[in-house]
Amino acid sequence: MSYYFAIIGTQDNPIFEYEFGTSKQGGDGIARFPEQARHMNQFIVHSSLDIVEEVQWGGGQMYLKCIDRFYNNYVSCFITGGNVKFLLLHAPSQPAVANTTRASTSIAANPTSPQIEEAIKQFFTEVYENWVKTIMSPFYQVNMEVKSPVFRARVAAAGKKYL
Amino acid sequence: MASQPIKPSLAGNASQSQRTSQPGLRYPSNGKTIYHRPLNRSRTQELSQASFAYLFGEMVSYAQKRVTGIQDLEKRLNVQGHPIGLKLLDLLLYREPPRTQNRPLNIIALLQFITTILWRHLFSRPADALEKSSNPDTPDEYMISDNDPLVNQYISVPKEMNQLNCAAFVAGIVEGVCDGAGFPARVTAHSVGKGEEGELWPGKTVFLVKFQQEVVEREAYLPKN
Amino acid sequence: MVNFNEERVVYALIIINKAGGLIYQRDFAEGLNKLNINDYLVLAGTFHGVHAITTRLHPLHPPPPPSSERPDPPSGIEVLETENFRLQCFSTLTGTKFLLFTEPQQPNVDKVMGKIYELYGDYVMKNPFYQLEMPVRCEGWERRLVGYLRVLNSR
Repeated sequence: MSYYFAIIGTQDNPIFEYEFGTSKQGGDGIARFPEQARHMNQFIVHSSLDIVEEVQWGGGQMYLKCIDRFYNNYVSCFITGGNVKFLLLHAPSQPAVANTTRASTSIAANPTSPQIEEAIKQFFTEVYENWVKTIMSPFYQVNMEVKSPVFRARVAAAGKKYL
Repeated sequence: MASQPIKPSLAGNASQSQRTSQPGLRYPSNGKTIYHRPLNRSRTQELSQASFAYLFGEMVSYAQKRVTGIQDLEKRLNVQGHPIGLKLLDLLLYREPPRTQNRPLNIIALLQFITTILWRHLFSRPADALEKSSNPDTPDEYMISDNDPLVNQYISVPKEMNQLNCAAFVAGIVEGVCDGAGFPARVTAHSVGKGEEGELWPGKTVFLVKFQQEVVEREAYLPKN
Repeated sequence: MVNFNEERVVYALIIINKAGGLIYQRDFAEGLNKLNINDYLVLAGTFHGVHAITTRLHPLHPPPPPSSERPDPPSGIEVLETENFRLQCFSTLTGTKFLLFTEPQQPNVDKVMGKIYELYGDYVMKNPFYQLEMPVRCEGWERRLVGYLRVLNSR
């Protein structure tokens, strides 16, 4: 399983992005997007913003679960009170790739299963805590890019812990 | 001194490479950043009102420098409050228990969040009243009343500036919350402590919240619940 | 009975800035001669001068100060009493002087003075529109001062 995580500001502007792979089932935490598809991640994530805008007024919860799918890429969303979107693109490893056996036995084979949904929720919740700390900084203004290496490390740790 | 390179710590290669790529970044000497501090606070941790009064007094004086008029001054106070509203919106939602950790979806839910949760956080009490404009021409206007705004506690506005209400700062915070939550609005503070009501509450202030047209339109087609 | 009431009256308050200028004057009871504003200014300036002289007049040698501390500066006039009124002077650390005119038998003048100083600290000094050393024109201060002394005088 490979992940691409992005934080999108209120003007649909990217604020933060981070790419990682699963650490469960012996994963090494490195993203394995096919080289020719990797640049598509940003497009896929941004194209799902339209759907976020449709879904966000349907209910008050922050975690909107899996909202979009593009072939083998699934996009989950979490929206903060300040209308900032956390988008996580998760791509289960293709069965064609070498380690077929591992992929088929892992829960990752079904990206909309309750276990995955819950794991992503916990990931988002932890990122949200760090996000609130980010915006509490007096030097942070709305829609500013997040450059803090501490924040990046915290996101990486959350990814490692839950995904 | 300033040209000296930042001393890399022993934190490991990964963070070192981060630091060299961002030469402007400095860490506190104890290594604790804002990320190492908890977001929750206990109920008893309150601030001294005197220190706030002095700080706010300086903010008003700062806003007054090279100002062109009362409106300009109120605008500047509003601008000082706006980012606080944006930040508090998420902080206060974060502190809500998970069951009620919901984004406000309609105007009433948003205004109730402001008059109770936000007001309690800032002033340790809820706002005194929340009303909808009774004028059919302005269905986009709401009024939040505060009988004695904490920010104005020690402030006496000179007669020649009697249009001014320094609670424009609080109006900015409210506006920040509204804007952040996706309900763009214009919020202004007005002194109404005159006449017979003024005997009891001379500092009474009404915050007029005027939502943009699009908010009212969206309200019309959203499900009611 | 009438006398009893009259024994507890705060008549007037005057505040003088550190340069000897009058920055506040107000009466709280009937029966005082009204002076014109110039006379009040002269009164403030004269008192300021007399007060300055009294801080230098010292019949006794001051006791040697404890080596670690700076001695308190001489306070000058603190009380001036006549058969008709009593004048209490309180000088703040920054040199502002509060003069309180009361009945000679008024009790607890220190406490009254302390409360007035507190109101001044809150509603004058914390007001961003008050300019230091300038005449005090603060509605909030006025309202609370009058409210406090009205209650005190009617007890």
